[in-house]
Amino acid sequence: MSDRLRAFSGQIIAVGVALLLGAIIILLVGESPVHVLMTLLHGAFGDQEKIAGTLLQTTPILICGVAACIGLRGGMFNVGIEGQLFLGGFAAAWVGFSFSLPAGIHTLAALALAVVAGAAWVAIPAYFRARYNTNEVVSTILSNYIAVLLTSYFTIFLFKRPGGWSETPPILATAYLPEIFSFSRLNWGLVIGLLLAVGVALVFRYTSWGYDVTMVGSAPKFAEYGGVNVKRQGFVVLLLSGAVGGLAGGVETLGVHHRFMEGFAPGFGFDGLIAALLANGSPVATILTALFFGALRSGSLLLEVDTSASREIITVIQALIILSVSAQVLIKRRGDSQAGERRWKF
Amino acid sequence: MEILDKLINVALIAATLRTTAPILLVALGGSFTTKAGIFNIGLEGQMLAGAFFAVIGSIWTGSAFVGVACGVAAALAFALAFAVLVVTFRANEVVVGLALNILAGGMTISLMKAILGTRGSIVGHGIVGLPKVQIPGAQALLGSWAPLISGFTPIVYVAFIAVPLLVLFYNRTRLGLYIRVVGEKPEAAEALGISITRVRYIASLLCGLLAGLAGAHLSLGYITMFTENMSSGRGFMAVAILIFSNGDPLKVLAGCLLFGFADAFSLRLQTFGFPSYLVLTVPYVVALTALFALSYRARPRIIKETLASMQKLLSVDRNSAPVDKNPQ
Repeated sequence: MSDRLRAFSGQIIAVGVALLLGAIIILLVGESPVHVLMTLLHGAFGDQEKIAGTLLQTTPILICGVAACIGLRGGMFNVGIEGQLFLGGFAAAWVGFSFSLPAGIHTLAALALAVVAGAAWVAIPAYFRARYNTNEVVSTILSNYIAVLLTSYFTIFLFKRPGGWSETPPILATAYLPEIFSFSRLNWGLVIGLLLAVGVALVFRYTSWGYDVTMVGSAPKFAEYGGVNVKRQGFVVLLLSGAVGGLAGGVETLGVHHRFMEGFAPGFGFDGLIAALLANGSPVATILTALFFGALRSGSLLLEVDTSASREIITVIQALIILSVSAQVLIKRRGDSQAGERRWKF
Repeated sequence: MEILDKLINVALIAATLRTTAPILLVALGGSFTTKAGIFNIGLEGQMLAGAFFAVIGSIWTGSAFVGVACGVAAALAFALAFAVLVVTFRANEVVVGLALNILAGGMTISLMKAILGTRGSIVGHGIVGLPKVQIPGAQALLGSWAPLISGFTPIVYVAFIAVPLLVLFYNRTRLGLYIRVVGEKPEAAEALGISITRVRYIASLLCGLLAGLAGAHLSLGYITMFTENMSSGRGFMAVAILIFSNGDPLKVLAGCLLFGFADAFSLRLQTFGFPSYLVLTVPYVVALTALFALSYRARPRIIKETLASMQKLLSVDRNSAPVDKNPQ
């Protein structure tokens, strides 16, 4: 426990260092860090609507974060969550506006197709990763660009609402993810995300499959000698990760926008990956880090209105946090041979 | 045939050379880190920072070349941060690279707003683009083919000249040899007393230098403007090329020409009325296909070949080199 406590306090210190660096950058941009911080806090937690708004932003980050956690546990960097999110979002919208089904079943069908779309989109990179050791980081990043362009094409050239913006027709009300409160668009997607995070954590902790995957991720050679089919587990892990990424898109479409539009959820996939990295691959800890990033995002909306700073300043802060965490995690492992292997441990 | 003539002509080849230049430069930069055994996913961010600060430098001083210098300096700063974290602190290369890319994206947009008060893109504001170099006598020598060698910005020439220079660098210089040893047999490098840390720092900084030039070419040479995330995945394509070329300059050149052509060709297709969204996917699809098709096959053989050739070089270079003490 003390080990874990030390690791946790290390993360906190790293976040502190990053915030300090962020403050310097805010000064350089010509704003007062205190003013920016207060605006962020007010924008994120000012009243109940703002808190709901924060949770609304947290939802996709959390689900994407769980997707990333699944990959990271198995030693796979799924950097393509962004693309899986877009395809999942489009697939859910398509089911939502082109079929009429009873309420509830419609939602489930749309979410199911979102999951399938996300998994399908990662299937080829996953296959080549497992079979031929093709670097999954690069292949999934490149497929992001294709996914975004492809969904834009579907939207604008195949399904564009006449006279509308670059968006599909709205989905039928039977496919909505219901809202939790009347005053906000916050919906049951948050509950899905929380259940998913806890569920995935339990699977990793208590099932033999979860143990195998963790072993593949942390010590592939050992896993192989132990009789685990490393290649197959790698494939399955990426596929599941992609499926959850697709689900994130489905939840966003059915719960928030009620249609698919061009550039509907920029950056949630990357935020999720960063949240998962900051949580060191733990789905439960990802709930906290996703909330943190959700608050940053939601607060940044007010930032744009109330200060001269741009809301992208928060991505700078996020990146600084990850950089300082990545550095401090490994400081204590100094002293081994320079030629030694450098790995991110989970 | 007429359509083919319209599609493929001198202008297209010249455009290919122009679109190849930035990705070639950034990929050649990455070849230093690849050869030194670092997986550098941060090329995209270095390039983007280079592009942005080149524009800012150009606006502030009114000189394109000072702009290029500013861009290179910014990319070097990113490369230095990468090296400090990855080499000194042993942080994970993928994590650091991705974070630096995100940092570059957010920082350029924030600074754009802070400095110029605009969002989206910087056009005008007194940006001075790079001049085009007219090769004297090109018209007389090649006639209508002259645009193939003349009329590019200086950085395009730098990019293509860098290819043979890098071949010589890796095969004929001590530093080049050290970089390769550090990348492929770090234990041997350590045994020889080569400082792995120093070599990897040098490789990272050389990489930043070329990535900065690549960025400057994007914003001051290729077109004279800066837009959000204008590197649009070229850094990642370069990484894909590096994976299947293993950083060898000639293979890098071949891969980059392929992507440059895909880029130029897709722009050309757009003018023929193909849906722009589909056309824009072409370079990424080409990169992915090439990555899948080539990465699995050649890898073990390349490593074996380089090891063999290196052993030869090492034994020539230092007669007492204890290579045999480190059998593979």
